[in-house]
Amino acid sequence: MRALQYVSMLFVIIPLTALIVCSLIKRSRQNAAFYLLSAFAAAQVGLALYGLMLFNSLNISEYSFGFHITQAVADVFTLKPASLVMLLCIGLVSFTSLLVAYKTMPANKKLSYLRLLSALIIGMNGIVLVNDLFTMYLFIEIIGISSFVLISTTKTEEGLESAFIYLVMSSLASIMLLTGLAFIFMRTGSLKFEYLIAINNTSAEVSQNALTYLSYILVISGLLIKTGAVPFHSWLPDAHQSADTSVSVLLSGIVIKAAGVYCLMRVTDIFGNLYAIRLSLAILGVITIAVGAMFALHQNHFKRILAYSSVSQMGYMLLGISAGGILGFIGTMLHIFNHAVFKSTLFTNAAALHEEVHTLDIDKLGGLQKQMPITATTSLIAFLSTAGIPPLSGFWSKLLIIIALWKANFIGFAAAALVLSIFTAAYFLRLQMNVFWGQTPEHLQSIKEVKGTIRFAEIMLTIITIAVGLGFPFILLFLEASGII
Amino acid sequence: MKEILMLAAICVPLLGAFLIPIFGKAITKLRNALALIFVLTALLCSILLLPYAVADNDAVIHIYLPLGLSIGFHADALAVFMAITSTLVSSVIVLYSFGYIKDYPNQNEYYLMICLFIGAMMGLVYSSNLILLYMFWEITSFCSWRLIGFYRDRTALIRANKAFITTVLGALIMLIGFIGIYAETGTFDLSVIKGYTLPSWIVAVILVGILTKSATFPLHNWLPDAGVAPSPVTSLLHAAVLVKIGLYAYVRLFVVELNIDKVFETIVPVIAAVSALLSAGAALKATDIKRVIAYSTISQIAFILLGLSCGVEVGLAGGLLYILAHSIAKGGLFLCAGIVEHALHTKDMSKMGGLIKTMPVTAISCLFCALSVMGIPPFGGFFAKFLVIDEIVSAGQITLGIIFIIGAIMTVLYLARMFSLVFLGEEKAKAHEGTKVMLASVIILAVLSLFMGILINLPTELVKMVGGLQ
Repeated sequence: MRALQYVSMLFVIIPLTALIVCSLIKRSRQNAAFYLLSAFAAAQVGLALYGLMLFNSLNISEYSFGFHITQAVADVFTLKPASLVMLLCIGLVSFTSLLVAYKTMPANKKLSYLRLLSALIIGMNGIVLVNDLFTMYLFIEIIGISSFVLISTTKTEEGLESAFIYLVMSSLASIMLLTGLAFIFMRTGSLKFEYLIAINNTSAEVSQNALTYLSYILVISGLLIKTGAVPFHSWLPDAHQSADTSVSVLLSGIVIKAAGVYCLMRVTDIFGNLYAIRLSLAILGVITIAVGAMFALHQNHFKRILAYSSVSQMGYMLLGISAGGILGFIGTMLHIFNHAVFKSTLFTNAAALHEEVHTLDIDKLGGLQKQMPITATTSLIAFLSTAGIPPLSGFWSKLLIIIALWKANFIGFAAAALVLSIFTAAYFLRLQMNVFWGQTPEHLQSIKEVKGTIRFAEIMLTIITIAVGLGFPFILLFLEASGII
Repeated sequence: MKEILMLAAICVPLLGAFLIPIFGKAITKLRNALALIFVLTALLCSILLLPYAVADNDAVIHIYLPLGLSIGFHADALAVFMAITSTLVSSVIVLYSFGYIKDYPNQNEYYLMICLFIGAMMGLVYSSNLILLYMFWEITSFCSWRLIGFYRDRTALIRANKAFITTVLGALIMLIGFIGIYAETGTFDLSVIKGYTLPSWIVAVILVGILTKSATFPLHNWLPDAGVAPSPVTSLLHAAVLVKIGLYAYVRLFVVELNIDKVFETIVPVIAAVSALLSAGAALKATDIKRVIAYSTISQIAFILLGLSCGVEVGLAGGLLYILAHSIAKGGLFLCAGIVEHALHTKDMSKMGGLIKTMPVTAISCLFCALSVMGIPPFGGFFAKFLVIDEIVSAGQITLGIIFIIGAIMTVLYLARMFSLVFLGEEKAKAHEGTKVMLASVIILAVLSLFMGILINLPTELVKMVGGLQ
């Protein structure tokens, strides 16, 4: 228990320390800060894995903690296995982002990037640990503001424009969330998750009046903006395209999931088993998959394709949430993790291309497989995983989500989700054909493979994709041994 | 012992494939030899498994996983038969590649994909679990995608993408059916649900997957276009392995393991009949030599499907026998077309003619293989076709029988047309005979076609055991 206490506190202390150190350090020492933050991110991955082992050996399902001066204050944070998985993803994606930024970030922007990243990690770590709605809202704001500044760090015209769009959408989300929370608080007098879940299970009529539905709609819409689900997706591709690639890794890899999907999972817990909510999430999920994929088919910018692909993949997570049940839950968590890994790989590939070829317009690229074999192979594997080709990791999470949907009697949605993954294959086939496959044009003959941290990130993430895919039976056996399924 | 043999048959080509690029960087000869050794290992292990399978002492591996998932492999007579058929022809194709592919770039990827493909085929035939089946199915789609686009020109890439999209879409629709089975029974394990009667909608969606993979009308469109691939690849995809996957899945799921509604014994043969006639017509009109053979594949696949689906046991045996005969003969035809294409640098038959003088070995091998596909006695194809049509007629389906006899006559016509355009008549272009390795490969397949007919007893006995007849 003691070990768990230290581990859980470290998740709050580490990013705070990082923020303080990065704020105090001199610009001439910025590389030291870089290494420190990378070490912290790697440590978070290790701690999260260690935490999962502790949970398994202690045989508990959650652990609450706080930073008490006196014992009279209630615990503000709750650690669960699901939050540990999220913390693992946060650590992993931040680490990748740091590896990419080491090469791509201009020297005069590095320090501000590090500070903002620390703030972002505080927000994300907080959001997965909180146990009441209002604190959740606070952390969403921290995430929103730090990502806004991160997106605008390039200071190009379109960078600022897309950051502005993000800010507008994000404030809209805040207004909706806050109003929704106010309605919930008005009705129940508390915003604690535990309390809200308890009253919804006991009194059916409370959950049936119009105000309740209105508050639910507001909260969910706010979170859907953060997720980037259709029809609230407009900010996402612009932000991804114009931001530095290390920032796109963060946005797609983890921000939209921590501030969006994960929070949605928490709040749908509160709303209980309302069929109307689950049905609308499922419909939105299918629409998101379809629309995201259709847009991805028509883009010519590498990162824009990836951004729309993220939109489309968010749809699968929405479907997983709408399916509910333990299978839907595990499927969604696994898909969050898998998506974090393979989408980070693809953005790292984008960074590699940008470093070496200095363009991300897929019409100007071509036949780079010979010149950049590692980038080509890693992107191919990431693509197969995204498209759900077994035995790679993406297949298993999709399979679990679809089985869960089927069991929840959403058979039509399950079939639609399966058939729509052909579009994922389609836009990635187009990408592969235009960028890596085919014949190399004259002006690209002399391109060299990317070196250093970006290459390391590509290889590391691909190994994870393959290992999770092949090791999936062990994950299942582990889940069974810990009594979850 | 038998379990180890089965695992070796699957894992040696499947995992060995990834060693090929490593060796290929250093010594190309060693890489080529390794590729052949991996495939031959699979063949040898499958042959060694045969006595066990025949004696009903099957190799079985079964590992339990939660949620009704499992990892299961089962080497019954049908699986071993399919494994031997596909690896036999594949080995010859790999041998042929040594000559055909040696001047092109990206050979490491080529041999990697070929081995991975054959390994996946081994995994597919031996797996006794729907999810594993689906997994290997998709790996073969992936490999064929890379192989069809081998030449890297725009047309090849687009057609590779087309083949990939079509077969993967079919597979996804099939997966809906698999999940439907899972929802009804709670497991993906075929050994657990043996004998379960499938609801018709599940049969229908699984059929979509099978028909796309086996390129049967109306889902055949990707196959003729995939002819842009190198000839050993088309031979592998269109003759030996890929199109047979769908047929194998049909037998495995709908005949051996699960029961389906009687109505499909009419629906599937009708689909097959339409497919046979349309593609035979297309083959008569095509001018591209590989397109003729590709359309002929679609047409012959329909014959096999008819035999498998008519619900009569002897018909089933005929269908299986034809899988073997067709793999050998059609594989040989594609390889011969490859030699011609290599020598003339064109696939257009109107620019060919009189090649029998300059390429006598290729011409005779091509003739042997063509005779087998036409179904002329004493070649292997005759007995298989005869069994299928004989059974469908004695089962009372006279109309279908007549349609298929028309189909068989058309086969004779278009293959004779092809042969005369390419090898007979006046000499329009200068040509030279293929390399020794390539000639050896086509001779092996031509001789096998002939001997399979002369020694028809041997495969027939095997097939009878596979089909459960004594």
